[in-house]
Amino acid sequence: MTRPGSSGRFHGGISLLALAFLGLFLLYPLWFVLRSSVQDEAGAFTLAAYAQVLSSRYYVGSLGNSLAAGAMSMALASLIGVPLAFCLARLDVPGRPLLLALASVPIVLPSFVGAYALVLLFGHAGIVTAALRSMGIAAGSIYGMAGIVTVFTLTLYPYVLLPTLAGFRAVDASMEEAARNLGASRWHAFRTVLFPIVAPSVLAGALLVFIEALENFGVPAVLAEDRPFLALDIFKLFAGESDPNVAAAGALSVLLVGCTVVMLLLQRAYLAHRRFATNARRGAALIPVSRRWRLLATAFCWGVVLLSLLPFAAVVVISFQHFQGPVLSWQPGLGNYRNLLKGSYRPLANTLALASLAAVAATVLGAPVGYVLARQRSRVSAVLSIVATMPFAVSGTVLGIGLVIAFNDGWPVLTGGWLILVVAYVVRKLPLSVRSASAIVHQIDPALEEASISLGLSPTRTFLTLTVPLMLGGLAGGMVLVWVTATAEISSTIVLYSSRWTTMTVMMLQSLEGTAPGEAAAAASILILFTAAPLLLVYRLLRRQGGSLL
Amino acid sequence: MTAIRLDAVVRTFGSVRAVDAISATIAEGELFTLLGPSGCGKTTLLRMIAGFSDVESGSIWFGDQRIDQVPAHRRNVGMVFQSYAVFPNLTVEQNVAYGLRARRVSRRDIRDRVAEALALVQLPAHNTRWPHELSGGQLQRVAIARCLVIKPAVLLFDEPLSNLDAQLRMHMRVEIRRLQKSLGLTAIYVTHDQEEALAISDRIAVLRDGRIEQVGTPETIYRAPQTAFVAEFMGSTNIILGVAAGFDGSATTVAAGGAMFQVRGRAGAPGAKVLLSIRPETMRLAGCPDAGGPTLAVRLQLREFLGPLLRLHAALPDGTPIRVVTLGGQGAQPAADGTLNLIYDPGQIIAYPAP
Repeated sequence: MTRPGSSGRFHGGISLLALAFLGLFLLYPLWFVLRSSVQDEAGAFTLAAYAQVLSSRYYVGSLGNSLAAGAMSMALASLIGVPLAFCLARLDVPGRPLLLALASVPIVLPSFVGAYALVLLFGHAGIVTAALRSMGIAAGSIYGMAGIVTVFTLTLYPYVLLPTLAGFRAVDASMEEAARNLGASRWHAFRTVLFPIVAPSVLAGALLVFIEALENFGVPAVLAEDRPFLALDIFKLFAGESDPNVAAAGALSVLLVGCTVVMLLLQRAYLAHRRFATNARRGAALIPVSRRWRLLATAFCWGVVLLSLLPFAAVVVISFQHFQGPVLSWQPGLGNYRNLLKGSYRPLANTLALASLAAVAATVLGAPVGYVLARQRSRVSAVLSIVATMPFAVSGTVLGIGLVIAFNDGWPVLTGGWLILVVAYVVRKLPLSVRSASAIVHQIDPALEEASISLGLSPTRTFLTLTVPLMLGGLAGGMVLVWVTATAEISSTIVLYSSRWTTMTVMMLQSLEGTAPGEAAAAASILILFTAAPLLLVYRLLRRQGGSLL
Repeated sequence: MTAIRLDAVVRTFGSVRAVDAISATIAEGELFTLLGPSGCGKTTLLRMIAGFSDVESGSIWFGDQRIDQVPAHRRNVGMVFQSYAVFPNLTVEQNVAYGLRARRVSRRDIRDRVAEALALVQLPAHNTRWPHELSGGQLQRVAIARCLVIKPAVLLFDEPLSNLDAQLRMHMRVEIRRLQKSLGLTAIYVTHDQEEALAISDRIAVLRDGRIEQVGTPETIYRAPQTAFVAEFMGSTNIILGVAAGFDGSATTVAAGGAMFQVRGRAGAPGAKVLLSIRPETMRLAGCPDAGGPTLAVRLQLREFLGPLLRLHAALPDGTPIRVVTLGGQGAQPAADGTLNLIYDPGQIIAYPAP
């Protein structure tokens, strides 16, 4: 509903401000990426870069590998996520609240740390590999597709689990009872009523897995070795030490963003007409099952969740062990941390400072945007809603490249400084803060604001003095989420960082390439600490917003 | 004290004219009710007066001041919402003081006026309780005090009682009416409950599809509905399709439902199709001592005992259903074949031209 006078101005002003920000720091850089892909050195239009990329067996393989990894991860994450969600929603599995809290942790843990854990355990010189070798057993390789898909599956399955769980819980008990009352068996009721109702949530989550897997830089960076992967090749082409090719990087970027945008649009179009699950007045009861089934479900749930956290736990444990060169000696000590921080605390301080700035900025920008999206329906807000979800679809590497090209000369020059990193993080994480803000606003009765306005406070003052305090809990949750994910950010950081503004993630990636696994493990542990701990602290706050954060 | 004038006010949503050129004048100190089924435009019209919905064309006046272009927060309107909209993050006192703070009233005046407003709605002064500790009725009182305290030009009520249980609803509507009268405030009241509208209003406007169907006092609206829609909406009347026959100078004979009815006045030209509205309570059971007039034979189908009242569901000779309400004490024993004789007053039947 449109509103007259200052109320409309307030909404319009926010929309335009947000569009201006995203236009300048998302669309404008992307435009440069697109332009660089269709221009030759003289600036004339050409599709040579596309021809070059698409006629190269290597780059076509790169596109194929990335899509295959995305599709497989999507399928596997669904195969894990849906049964897990069902067990957590409907079976008496012991420790369900804790399980649920733990299951949402992998989403914020840096996935390339998970990949690194795999290398540490099963890599060429991995601890398990070495142990097996000493027993005369040859272990298979975890490098390449298998390892990458494993890591994606284990770190991204919460994207399916959380919305599906919310879906199962939002189905009113009477639905299933009605089906059973009409003569359906439990399985028939699940197949014909329950599953169709939650299917949109499953698919929405699965598509997010696909998108995340497609644009992920860190995991292939650790596990691909020489195999081609899209995000990796884009970075190599753009910033490669030998013979950078910006046009080819641009062409691959356009292909990557094209794939993810199509996926995101599919997801939106699919969801737009399928919102079956409404708030349940009465949640469905737990299903009584035999001891054996309960045991099986318990083993499955705890198994999956612990398995997904195991690599991270292993890294933390290993980080406290002493290394002699590359060889683990199983003597506890803090040597790795000393070595890591010996150089300077700078990367750690950078990470904390950049993430904090990004979290505050994303919240300040995202809260009003989320508010407008939740309250107002107009053409401007429809555009804003699409543009504000776009960062999900734009790979961090591509955004980084765009920002570099757009702000390298002329005015303003941002490359090489801290601001460009903060800008990249804010753009990348804006969907998170927007969604958490609008989830909260949806829970605030609009009549409250109307009451305030009719009592004499202007819409802007009403927003600041009434709505913001009411939103505070949700905003804090969203802010922590931004902070945590910005701390673990690698795909845009790797393009944008400078030696003065090195972050923990960059340092970790660098120490991976070196021969100091202990320091890498220490860096990884610090990242795990700074991402998992805050999330678990505000877990209660976030849970109230349900699956809407995804 | 402010009169309100609506002048050809229009609002459309897509292709639907939610408010279709409505004009009305509400006198100072009057309680004016917008009544109608959901989707008739009554809430939209109220929100336009409050400033939450755009006025596409036409104008709204408070006294001689045109206000439809004034932003909502400068209209000095007190609005009571269906959901009460009591701020959950403020105490009762802070809620009531909210509008005074916005107007930068001095601290001492705020305290006095808040206490005064709380007293008006019979809540204790210095009320530091939180909204989640209050019952629905108490929340409603807070919402009303919060409006009264700013001395609004007009009071707007958006189905304020629909979230209360039946008994409290009756109690609160008496209290709202008493407050509004004693303070002399001009009020517009939106409801879909015809009984509530009849009980509380000085005048009622019955709305249908964005237009005013009829405006009048509760008595006029109930006794002399101008259209079949109003008749049907105001209490559950029997609407029966019939064909007019001869006019004998005082009454018209109408064939309807397989029976012949006598209707006072000229109901229509002979052969014209008419809709008859017969209120259930205007019919009597034959055999009652005070009954006199034309009779009607119906077949009893179902009887509902409602305590003070007895509602009978019957059928006219051709099967058309008809309802009759009588005082509960009278026994209504049909003949062995199920026939029941009713007596009616030709002056109580209203005929409308059939569409």
